[in-house]
Amino acid sequence: MVTGGKALAERRDSVARRPRLWTSVVRQRRRILDLVQHGYIWLWMLIFVLPFLTTFAYSLRTPDGISLSPYQHVFGSFKDNLLLSFEVTVISIVLNLLVALPAAYAIVRFPIPGKGLLLAILNLALYTPAAVMGISLVIVYNFLFHIAQSLTGLIGAYVVGTYPLMLIPIIVALRDLPQVYEEAARCLGANRLQTLFRVELPLLGPGISAGILLTFVIVFNEFLVTLFVAGPGNTTAALRVFNLTRTAGIQPSTAALASTMQIVSFVVVIAFFRFFGSRYLKGTYLI
Amino acid sequence: MARVELVEVTKRYGQTIAVDHVSLDIAEGEFVTLLGPSGCGKTTTLRIVAGLIEPTEGEIRFDGQVVNHVPPHRRNIGFVFQSHALFPHLTVAENIAFGLKIKRRPKAEVQRRVEEMLELVNLQGFGSRMPSQLSGGQQQRVALARVLATDPRVLLFDEPLSALDRNLRDQLKYSILELQRRTRKTAIYVTHDQSEAFAISDRICVMNAGRVEQVGTQLDIYLRPATEFVANFVGDNNVATGEVVRVHQRDGQRSVVVKSGTLELQAVDTQGLQPGETALLFVRPENIEVLSDGVVPGDEPVFQGQVDQVVFEGPTVRFLVDIDGKPFRVIASGPQRLTLLGSTRRRVRLRFHAVVAIRHEDAGTTSARMG
Repeated sequence: MVTGGKALAERRDSVARRPRLWTSVVRQRRRILDLVQHGYIWLWMLIFVLPFLTTFAYSLRTPDGISLSPYQHVFGSFKDNLLLSFEVTVISIVLNLLVALPAAYAIVRFPIPGKGLLLAILNLALYTPAAVMGISLVIVYNFLFHIAQSLTGLIGAYVVGTYPLMLIPIIVALRDLPQVYEEAARCLGANRLQTLFRVELPLLGPGISAGILLTFVIVFNEFLVTLFVAGPGNTTAALRVFNLTRTAGIQPSTAALASTMQIVSFVVVIAFFRFFGSRYLKGTYLI
Repeated sequence: MARVELVEVTKRYGQTIAVDHVSLDIAEGEFVTLLGPSGCGKTTTLRIVAGLIEPTEGEIRFDGQVVNHVPPHRRNIGFVFQSHALFPHLTVAENIAFGLKIKRRPKAEVQRRVEEMLELVNLQGFGSRMPSQLSGGQQQRVALARVLATDPRVLLFDEPLSALDRNLRDQLKYSILELQRRTRKTAIYVTHDQSEAFAISDRICVMNAGRVEQVGTQLDIYLRPATEFVANFVGDNNVATGEVVRVHQRDGQRSVVVKSGTLELQAVDTQGLQPGETALLFVRPENIEVLSDGVVPGDEPVFQGQVDQVVFEGPTVRFLVDIDGKPFRVIASGPQRLTLLGSTRRRVRLRFHAVVAIRHEDAGTTSARMG
């Protein structure tokens, strides 16, 4: 009786132990899988970030060792280029909004014959190679508008090239925006303008902010079209990086300017997502 | 608070007529329901009153003044949408304050009014929530508060409860009625749900194919349907075709005797039917009485029928009774219903109540009207 009881107890023990062994194997396998997955993600992250890290590292290399001194140029002789880039970007964004908002509203809300064709034409700039765009603009500016090499011409080039990037997100947002909000506002006593500013624009926030972001990233960093249409007085930061590299080779100060541009773009994108992605969008139908 | 008149209002979209010469006079403080199947033009009519759609012909008058060309934001109306339409980017309090802020009311007044409205719809303390954080019923109550905050002249409801579940619907329809009674505002309510229309209206306007079929109280609509459509659409009805044989005039109520097969029934007539005319007879299943064996009928006619089918539904029992080859649906309620269970294949005696006769429009005129 006693031995039989002991054997039973042992068997119970081994049965109890077996799943524990099994789970430890699973856990180990899972840990290896986790490592592989994370490693894979980090590998790609590294590959994406590597060019920037290298440029950044290069910008710190001076004859006297590692130093931030090349960045003095960024706020010195390169300051005007950066400021010009900001200026043309902001003006382009404003113009894009002025063009795209009414256009999107008309396209979504009114019955326009040949809407599909119209949209395709409006979005033509998206499929036009930058070099083709550049030469077309040079020809048009020289022989038709006579604004070659002017700041107006430069900003015009950016607007023509990037307004579809503003138009499309707004069209999408407006299409998704039920008309009932507009009607509700009207019935509550709001006129068309009040409805636009208090209801429709805030609700279009996601689309508009996406458009602003895309315009910013493209215009601020634009180089190829700029190369065609910018005059001698209108050297944007991107163009300056190119000019310096071509004439003086790769200097730490040029790398510093490039790194600064990268950081500005990065910060703007992050700030945009933080601002529009949290407080502003809270409660809208998109989140 | 305003009297609302629709005079021959018509809306055409190309060849199709959405609203066809609708005339309706709604008294101050009255609650009128537009009832009809989907696509009957009731929502279009409501949106015309709101100013969201311009009528092709006809006039809308508020207190005698034509408002056809007054844009919605100057009509001083309150519109409650099927999808509550609360602004998702504003809090509950900001939603309620929207109309007041547009009217540039002082801040203190706006705040007081918002609190008042939240209390009115029983949502105190919900002011700082976003609409998406509320349940469907709460959202619709906020929509109601938002509309009432601006003290509109007319309340317009476009199926406000159809997106909610049944229990909530029953609850909210009475709160809507109570709020309307308390604020004494003129209200127009669109629905396709008869029980909703019956529960809350002063008068019901039944619409079909863009036209008004009948305007009247619940009793009018139910007991004295004016047209074939109303008789078929509201509630359940047994229909039989027959010929008018006699006209009766008793106590100012006109009635006709219609012969349909072997049945000869006395029926209410609101159309002035004449002997020889073809009429449709409508009798509701709950208005056919199954007589128990011992009951001696009075002088009213009694018919013999054979029970084909019995379905016990708890509070009611449904029968299918064959009278001379024609099936009639019968609903029995009350304690007597239990004695009738298991009466399949039995012959029973039936008595018909509240029979309605309506002129039978031939197919030609019906289709012309639908076009």
